[in-house]
Amino acid sequence: MQTTLSPSTPQAKTAKTASRLQGFWHVFRKNRTGLIGLGMLATILFTAIFAPVIAPYDSSSTSSAGISDIYNPPSAEHWLGTDDAGQDVFSNFIFGARVSLTVGFFAAFISIIIGGVFGLVAGFFGGRWENFLMRFTDIFLVIPDLPLMVVIVALTKPSLLNIIFVIGLLGWTTTARVVRSQTLAVKSKKFVLRARAIGAGKGHIVTRHILPLVMPILVVQAVLVVSLAILNESALSFLGLGDPTALSWGQMLNYAFGRGAMSTGAWWALVVPGFGIVWVVLGLTLLGQGLEKVLNPRLETHHLMPGRSPVQNEADLDVPGKGALLEVQNLSINYVNDGQPPARAVENISFTLKEGELVGLVGESGCGKTTLMLALLRLLPAAGQIVNGNVFFGGKDLVSLSDDELNDIRWSGISIIFQGAMNALNPVRPVDEQISEVIIKHLPSFPKERMQGRVIELLELVGIAADHKDHYPHQYSGGMRQRAMIAMALACNPQVVIADEPTTALDVMIQAQILELLDSLRKKLGLAVIFVTHDLGVVAEMCDRVLVMYGGVIAEYASVDVIYNDPKHPYTQELLKAFPDLTKPKKKLSSIPGYPPRLEALPAGCRFAPRCPSVFDRCHTEQPALHILADEHKVSCHLVEALK
Amino acid sequence: MSADNFLEVRGLKKDFDVGSPTLFSRAPRNLHAVDGVDFTLHRSEVIALVGESGCGKSTLALLLMGLEDPTDGKVILEGRDITHLNDHERKDLRRKIQMVFQDPYESLNPTQTIEEIVTEPLAVHGITNSAERDDRVKKAMEDAGLKPAEIYLKRYPHELSGGQRQRVVIAAALVLEPEIILADEPVSMLDVSIRAEIINLLAELRITRQIAVIFITHDLGSVGFFADRVAVMYLGRIVEIGTMLEVLEKPQHPYTKALLSVIPVPNPRLRRERIILQGETPNPIDIPSGCRFHPRCPVAFAACKVSDPPMVTISRTHQAACLLLVK
Amino acid sequence: MNRTRAFLKKTAWSLFTIIFVIILNFFLFRVLPGDPARAGIRDPRLKKEAIEMLRVRFGLDKPVINCFESLNPIEVGSCAINPLDTQFFIYVRNLMQGELGISYHTNRPVADILAERLWNTVLLIGAGQILSIVFGVVFGIFAAWKARTSVDYAAVTTSLIAWSLPTFWLGIILLFWGSTHGFPLAGKATPGMSSMPLLQQWGDIARHMFLPTLTYTIVYMGEYTLIMRSSLMDVLSEDYILTAKAKGLSTFQILKDHALKNAMLPLVTVIAINLGFTVAGAIQIEAVFSWPGLGSAIYEAVVRRDFPILQGAFLLIAVAVILANLIADLTYNFLDPRVQTE
Repeated sequence: MQTTLSPSTPQAKTAKTASRLQGFWHVFRKNRTGLIGLGMLATILFTAIFAPVIAPYDSSSTSSAGISDIYNPPSAEHWLGTDDAGQDVFSNFIFGARVSLTVGFFAAFISIIIGGVFGLVAGFFGGRWENFLMRFTDIFLVIPDLPLMVVIVALTKPSLLNIIFVIGLLGWTTTARVVRSQTLAVKSKKFVLRARAIGAGKGHIVTRHILPLVMPILVVQAVLVVSLAILNESALSFLGLGDPTALSWGQMLNYAFGRGAMSTGAWWALVVPGFGIVWVVLGLTLLGQGLEKVLNPRLETHHLMPGRSPVQNEADLDVPGKGALLEVQNLSINYVNDGQPPARAVENISFTLKEGELVGLVGESGCGKTTLMLALLRLLPAAGQIVNGNVFFGGKDLVSLSDDELNDIRWSGISIIFQGAMNALNPVRPVDEQISEVIIKHLPSFPKERMQGRVIELLELVGIAADHKDHYPHQYSGGMRQRAMIAMALACNPQVVIADEPTTALDVMIQAQILELLDSLRKKLGLAVIFVTHDLGVVAEMCDRVLVMYGGVIAEYASVDVIYNDPKHPYTQELLKAFPDLTKPKKKLSSIPGYPPRLEALPAGCRFAPRCPSVFDRCHTEQPALHILADEHKVSCHLVEALK
Repeated sequence: MSADNFLEVRGLKKDFDVGSPTLFSRAPRNLHAVDGVDFTLHRSEVIALVGESGCGKSTLALLLMGLEDPTDGKVILEGRDITHLNDHERKDLRRKIQMVFQDPYESLNPTQTIEEIVTEPLAVHGITNSAERDDRVKKAMEDAGLKPAEIYLKRYPHELSGGQRQRVVIAAALVLEPEIILADEPVSMLDVSIRAEIINLLAELRITRQIAVIFITHDLGSVGFFADRVAVMYLGRIVEIGTMLEVLEKPQHPYTKALLSVIPVPNPRLRRERIILQGETPNPIDIPSGCRFHPRCPVAFAACKVSDPPMVTISRTHQAACLLLVK
Repeated sequence: MNRTRAFLKKTAWSLFTIIFVIILNFFLFRVLPGDPARAGIRDPRLKKEAIEMLRVRFGLDKPVINCFESLNPIEVGSCAINPLDTQFFIYVRNLMQGELGISYHTNRPVADILAERLWNTVLLIGAGQILSIVFGVVFGIFAAWKARTSVDYAAVTTSLIAWSLPTFWLGIILLFWGSTHGFPLAGKATPGMSSMPLLQQWGDIARHMFLPTLTYTIVYMGEYTLIMRSSLMDVLSEDYILTAKAKGLSTFQILKDHALKNAMLPLVTVIAINLGFTVAGAIQIEAVFSWPGLGSAIYEAVVRRDFPILQGAFLLIAVAVILANLIADLTYNFLDPRVQTE
């Protein structure tokens, strides 16, 4: 193995680990579930460690017990009563914690080591090792644990050590699986390939790159394995296979249940030990859940959560302009997260879409273009809220419609072609069903017997042969999926189609095919299209008008010719300079220094000011208004004020 | 451009075994990812390998890096055959060839600081003198545009932007003072406004450090001004290679022509006629007979189905594999 | 064709696992102290003829297997013997004929005893599984749909607590409660019931089943709720749900047509993996409620050191779990279109 000299001194290393732990704690302490679990675990650990100090009676104080001491109810003398041998239940409970926790931790330790090594070896080395180890794991995964434990313990001496080994040696299977899949996931990461490209050996890669990322999962897994081991120990003891000399909680229950606690009504002898088990296992489970959430944070949100209802503003209910199919007026959208100031994702956007027109919406990632499109049909995630503005379509303001009214307009009036159709199509339903579904929903009078014909017609329109209609999305290629998505979008003859980066993940040639298809369909069917993209080239080839967005606001809005040949906003100008042009191969590309603003830290004045080459004082303090230069040329920049 | 052949690639092939013989079919199925690639690279030259997904360009990169073993063919560096090396020789060679990956989010280990990331290659290669190490790390980072280096050292990758991360990857490659950098789609995950800075950075390095760059991309549009030569790949083979201007302005192969015609030009006054190829790139398991491009070729004729076209020399620097060019 | 291949492969693999269990089951009892056959003939109550019969039946005068006369204590023997003439082969042959040995306690064939009890366990696990899955799925759906509301928090907290309950302890508590509310305390039927009309007999069985099934349902429901919730949360944050929403489908339609099948698929796998745990639960519940199933057979065998029963019951349970696992696995392949056609 490669002995590598750590880039930092040992002290620095410790400091780094400490700071990472600190960082971890900083996040963890905000996690209520995890904290409660940790608290519960800490209490019981404290109890177990200081058992002799806490317990009112010695654990072996049976000698003095007489018949009258058996199953005494709770009293001042025995807080939790006495058991079948006249012992103090509370004291036994406290000493029982020691036994149960010992078994749990040691058994889990064995399981974690075996499972961890198996999983790591199988995942990292792959090939024959993986095959053998995982087959072996599979066998033990399906053989039921507890019966096998019962058999082995029954055949051997029921001592604490035996129980620890039996539980430990049979409880590693899930750990092996979890560690293997995490190892595989880390191994396939590009940074491991990069480490190989540097010349790092296997040992270096495992210790420096794999282990640090497998460890956290292993810790979570360990917490769960400890709780399972404690449950298994209690079950074994209850079944009469416990160590009679070590009074674990399970053993206490075995005695109480087998020696008449039930018939004497001595509930305390039954409730108390079980409470201990529940306390520890619940504590560990909560801790595990908490750790899991910190290490693998997921937004606990989904598309069916009720959105925030839009802020209505009926004051400026202008009648939409003539010929405008869709008119967006002063639309603003915030993302609202508890405990944080709202993030102004989109601010004051207005534009119109005329019949048969193709408007391009251009911007870099995070500029709010997708948020804006989702807001048109009120499809924003739960945290998104329309805080201002109107969306007029077909004489109605979509912002103020009820959900049911809106559902009628969705897809039949305005449909969407999503980016990356692999995820936008349901993987477990055939394509034709996903198309006919919208016809059934929006055109309920459509004759059933003509449905198949209509689906075939739509698929052929986008160039998919009829015999592929009942295939599943994964049987399609990327290009075909995007075609199917287009067919679906056209199914109810909408007036407006929103295409949200429809070609982003596709190869150049497939991209050209899809663009050609969209363009021809638009002309054939007279569709109005909003085309969302980051690709200036595509916009130039297809669009009539272009809306350039930056940091959630309109930078420039003009006809395609003006945008490319006479742009007025510095952002548009700079973006064009950064974009390669095949017709000018010698052109040196320039980049825009800096990075787009983060929504939670927007600059005070113009959002482009920090990166703008023509910036001056006013830009830092005052947000520029949207200046109208010509009929359809709008620019939000202080510089154009003079041009008006 | 000097005439020396710094790096030579001769008939390089890589087959992947997909699906072992089954109960029902005995024939082993091979995926011909790279199927006979030849080219040479000169010192401090930039060559762009262009192709769509499935053309074998990423596999070719891994073969050149020695991260995959070729099925056939040779890679020769400065006259020395480096196709098959033992671990020790391979490790030594890694100082000369370094790689920059597509996704700067995935190619950095999230648990390492920037300092650890950039120092790691030195540690791996046993350069432990701390003064020398610090010097080289600082120089690599500043050459990669992370100036001043100190403010980045203690940070973690997630605290940096995409462009900065890609610079860290480049710094980690530069620290070994390589002579060749293989850049596999280094800008495709970045926003348009910062792509140019990474490309410009690579262009500078060839001048300041005399590094040759193999630039792998799917975007013919982005290779202008920066690449000396362009090689267009289709289904595991180079179908056309020439200087940048030759390929962009006088393409000879029908595939290159089609590819060039569909790249959108950011100028609405130049809406051109596009040659849109029908269908999709065939599966590299069943490569078509004859010319591998014939099923999609708009100008294919009968002979294309049977004979595999040789590389035809158009000029000293320009070759293309098409039967139409055979006189 | 691929589906057939997957079917054959999985079946062959299950068969292999069963063979492994059979071998394990033989050697476990030979290596560890407590060879059921050998111990059986030391029983002083047995007559000489009976001992002789057992000896022949289990081949106790023969070596355990080639090369080993005995494994506990280890006695090396000749390797060059007819493998058919070893205890191992006789064990396998007996197994083929459904011969699992004789119970020490009742002197009845183990196979007969277990056959009676198997169906009681299947009845209990079946009822408990169905109820816990149904309730778990329903609660999981509500928790995910109403994520981050009090409905969700209540469902998750209850599930976590239910998951942390030791099965046998919950059984004890319910039994304690049931004993004061007129529920039968033990067994499957009240003695003398067999002479009553059929309907009344069933009613009696149902009354006996109530508490064990309730215990079972509570313990496993929690886990199914949590898994269903997280699976549905994942599905509901997929892009295709956004597509469905953009299509104008109602919440109910989206859940029914686009979310449930997708979310249930992982649950099938979990149910398969869980089968081993469900058996563990059944053992504990049967022990508490004296339900005459395989679990209580194991419990009684442990108490009475009746090793032939223990060996037979373990084998039966393991084989049943492996087969049930296979069925669940094949069901999954059948349900998920992505597996069929790859």
